[in-house]
Amino acid sequence: MTTSNSFDFPREYHFPPFFTRQTNVNTHRAQLEKWSSLILGYCAHHKLYKLSLSATAAGNNDNSSSNAGASADDLFHNRNLNRRLSTADAREVLDFMRKEGRAEFVAGGDNGAAKEGGGDVAWIYWKTPEEWAKELEGWVDDTAQKGTVLTLYELTQGEDTRGSAFHGLDPDLLQKALQVLVKRGKAQIFGQDDSQGVKFF
Amino acid sequence: MFLKHIDLTTALRPSYLDGEALTFVQDNVGLYEGKYKLPNQQKGQVYLTTHRICYVDSQEPRKHSVALDLKDIERYEFYAGFLKSSAKFIITPPDSSARNSPAAPVQATSATWVCTICSFPNPVPSNFDPTTANVHTPLPPCLACGIKPALTHVLKASINNATSRQAPPGAGSRPQSVFNPTPRDTRLIGDGSGGSSPSGAGFSPAASTPNLDSGGGSGFQCPRCTFENHPSLLSCEICGAPLISHDVSSSIAPAALRTDSPGPVLTTGSVTGRETPESVKISFRAGGEKIFYERLKVCMIQRKWLLQEAPPIPRANRAAEGNNGTLSRTGSGAGRNKSAGIAGLEQMGLDRRKNNELMIGTSFEDLEALMASAKEIVALAESFSRQVNGGSDNATSEANALLAESASQLGLITTKDIVGGGSGSASESLYLSELSRNLAEFLTDDSRGVLKKAGGIMSLVDLWAMFNRARGGVELVSPNDFEKAAQLWEKLKLPVRLRTFKSGVMVAQSRDRTDEATVKALLSWLRDLHDIPPDTDVSWDWQEFGRGVTAQDVAERFGWSIAVAEEELEMAEERGVLCREEGIEGIKFWENFIDTGEYRKRPRRQVTENDRILRDLKAAGLL
Repeated sequence: MTTSNSFDFPREYHFPPFFTRQTNVNTHRAQLEKWSSLILGYCAHHKLYKLSLSATAAGNNDNSSSNAGASADDLFHNRNLNRRLSTADAREVLDFMRKEGRAEFVAGGDNGAAKEGGGDVAWIYWKTPEEWAKELEGWVDDTAQKGTVLTLYELTQGEDTRGSAFHGLDPDLLQKALQVLVKRGKAQIFGQDDSQGVKFF
Repeated sequence: MFLKHIDLTTALRPSYLDGEALTFVQDNVGLYEGKYKLPNQQKGQVYLTTHRICYVDSQEPRKHSVALDLKDIERYEFYAGFLKSSAKFIITPPDSSARNSPAAPVQATSATWVCTICSFPNPVPSNFDPTTANVHTPLPPCLACGIKPALTHVLKASINNATSRQAPPGAGSRPQSVFNPTPRDTRLIGDGSGGSSPSGAGFSPAASTPNLDSGGGSGFQCPRCTFENHPSLLSCEICGAPLISHDVSSSIAPAALRTDSPGPVLTTGSVTGRETPESVKISFRAGGEKIFYERLKVCMIQRKWLLQEAPPIPRANRAAEGNNGTLSRTGSGAGRNKSAGIAGLEQMGLDRRKNNELMIGTSFEDLEALMASAKEIVALAESFSRQVNGGSDNATSEANALLAESASQLGLITTKDIVGGGSGSASESLYLSELSRNLAEFLTDDSRGVLKKAGGIMSLVDLWAMFNRARGGVELVSPNDFEKAAQLWEKLKLPVRLRTFKSGVMVAQSRDRTDEATVKALLSWLRDLHDIPPDTDVSWDWQEFGRGVTAQDVAERFGWSIAVAEEELEMAEERGVLCREEGIEGIKFWENFIDTGEYRKRPRRQVTENDRILRDLKAAGLL
């Protein structure tokens, strides 16, 4: 899934102290901001929807997540400098992003990795569910498919959506985006777990 | 001049003369001259030393501090204070006392001798030379009664005259003021000063002043008989006294004019300029006068100022004895051969040890003797320490030299019993302020360079240890007092300041070294590192980021102790100038490339936008 052309890291990424938690309040804030924008940029570049903090947690997850985990290691570990942002610090960054509405920890209900709030895997919202919902809505409008029923698989993996932003969107994230539309009354979801369909109004 | 302007040290204490030692300090005193308060010297500290009484003003210490030498004191009285009037010391300079005392042999300004029979003032013959005169020198008889004077009489007269000529006008030496108060003279004074009370100034300038005023060149008044002579005459037509030329009188006139009316001048004129005040009073408004009195008495008895230039007596005596002894020994035929070589060296060593033994023996007999010979004992101790240190390495000997040097200034160190004061708390605060000044001096003393050697910054604990060591084990300062004294630096406007780091570490540093300056120095150094390739290959772009520095690097670079370097770095980090990197090599500090300021503006704008919306909503009555 990761694109082969390399991500252009920002200047700070090559600055060794960037990987140490700063104690000065202002500097720390700036550090968090910079990490946040780096993570968002990196995930958007590589079309990552989830980020895993530890390799073990990533291993327990499904295929796409483990892929994300490996990439996260790339992100937090600058091999060139031999510097690494520690897991705790990375979690702090994600927490900061969560407060900004740009990340959300995956509730680890299904595999029991972490019960309360902060798991090791987090959604990275380089586009928030609302934004994804808008994308979907725009696509449905453009292709005049209002009223037709589409499967979720069609939406993300189908031939028609190739080239649109949400092609290859994580199914769970798609669910979240669709839920936004459902709440607004713009869509309706029906069907079983693995063969869900959606109808746009 | 009775009251002199004095130099102050950096800590605003009087700078001491050679061999001078502090004996007492009291704050909250004021100065009077005669009956009048001196306007600029009303609140200050008085330092009683073995040589002087120094007044240091609290408000404008550099401008209004004065001192008077103990040697100038003729008399001192104690006034115990009454009702609202506080206790005072009345210190009288010799001039004014001389005015009251009956005059000794009558003298005029030129060399004249007064006949003991008819008291006619005769001129001393111009060929009379006091240095060569003897019994056989022919002396002219008295011009009035024809009785021959005694040689000693004339001799005294001429010597007196010579000394008065040499002394600068108004210096207050005795011969000037010993004018015989005959009726004629009082008339003269009445003409001259225009007042009923004769001024305390020397009479010769006072007498010459009217010549300028009244005569204006037309007349020339004889200083002896007040006859108005023609200005071209050199001696008086009536009594034959030599007349003082206009040049002399004009040069001394201003001083004489000022002494004419001491009252009004007092409030405006500078203190040090006046020559012979009637008396000086020191008013003790916060107690301490009794101790001052005791100490002053001791100082006046000891008269240490006499020893100031003289070589230390005990040692000189001993040295002389020793020299004599060796001389006589060598002279008595024992010969040089015996004292040469190893035997001679041994003999010398033996002599020296004997000397030392003698000195120590006499010095430690009682405390008084020890204090008297403190100078020699310190010198001896220094020489001992030098001998002890002979074999050890340089670093310690340097430190010891520093200590020994400091110890020689023991006399200047404030001790609790030196400081006076009424109640316990008052004396405590005075002690602390003195200690504070003391410390500031210790730190800023250029010859010692305590602060300079520590890179301009020194932790308080180190300073405390060093200071107490410098005190040589006596009158040690408790850490509590020490801290309190250090905290007073700021208040007393001393050139050092106490700084407390975030971690609670306290350091002493000079006042001009601010955080800004430190940050600037650090930053410029880090920027320099952009151009210096690192020793080892580094993975980052050192030309862009420079490199990180540890506290040790900084300590080496700036000569600070590591603790101080750590604190300074953290201070700079706290200011957002530096950022840290924790790694296997410890904490390194870098120039801050993380917080470059672009994020700081954004949230603020958001906040203001939110505020605006909130405000609008409130205005619309929705909230």
